Amino acid sequence: MIFTIAVHGAPYASQSNHHALQFARAAIAAGHGVTRVFFYHEAVYAALNSCVAPQDEIDITQAWQEFAADHEVELAVCIANGLKRGVLSANEAARYDMPAATLANGFELVGLGQLIDAVTSSDRYIEFPA
Amino acid sequence: MKQLMCIVSKPPYAGAHSLELLEAAMVGAVFDFQVSLLFRADGIWNLVPGQNGQIIGSRTISNVLRAMPTYEVEQLYACAEAVRKAGLNLSDLESNVVLVEPNEQAHLLASQHAVIGAAP
Repeated sequence: MIFTIAVHGAPYASQSNHHALQFARAAIAAGHGVTRVFFYHEAVYAALNSCVAPQDEIDITQAWQEFAADHEVELAVCIANGLKRGVLSANEAARYDMPAATLANGFELVGLGQLIDAVTSSDRYIEFPA
Repeated sequence: MKQLMCIVSKPPYAGAHSLELLEAAMVGAVFDFQVSLLFRADGIWNLVPGQNGQIIGSRTISNVLRAMPTYEVEQLYACAEAVRKAGLNLSDLESNVVLVEPNEQAHLLASQHAVIGAAP
């Protein structure tokens, strides 16, 4: 079964990212496919390259990066939700004349259409609320 | 035509939650889903007309809701129980809203291809 996973809660403010990551790992371990993880609402903060996790806590951004690299999963960040919260790719930082690109490696800014496309083309859409 | 439902459970102007879900609904319709919106819990307050978001530096949700038919998002449902609990009547809400009881909501949800915003 192919899953599309959506994360809605900010790291540290909710368990949303942890739950989604654990679910995604479990789904793949059980032989299912996860093609795209979509970050929406406050979850876009997981895609910032400027967060320093406390030493005794999981670095959620890095955990997603490793998961995506290991399993060829796309980490899709809603561009509209991301831009207003300071999540900028190099292109967007240049476009809006901002001092730095803040999108972490392995994440991609995409339009909402990508979410709808993923919902259409997968067997299950699973959402992890804030 | 595949059906997509977006559920709004949070009150208006409590962060960007409502507006961002309405955006998802509009894009879903552009991608040929038959999109409906269900307002439940405190989300029903989004449906009270006469709002002015500009005072607090926000888009006005009432205006966005009225634009929904332009995007072919024509089905606006409100949880009948939440409306009663808030002391509101159908006449207090935007004109194109349909009240649905919890058992009817179960049927509505079961008929969807996907549901966005299904937070508790």
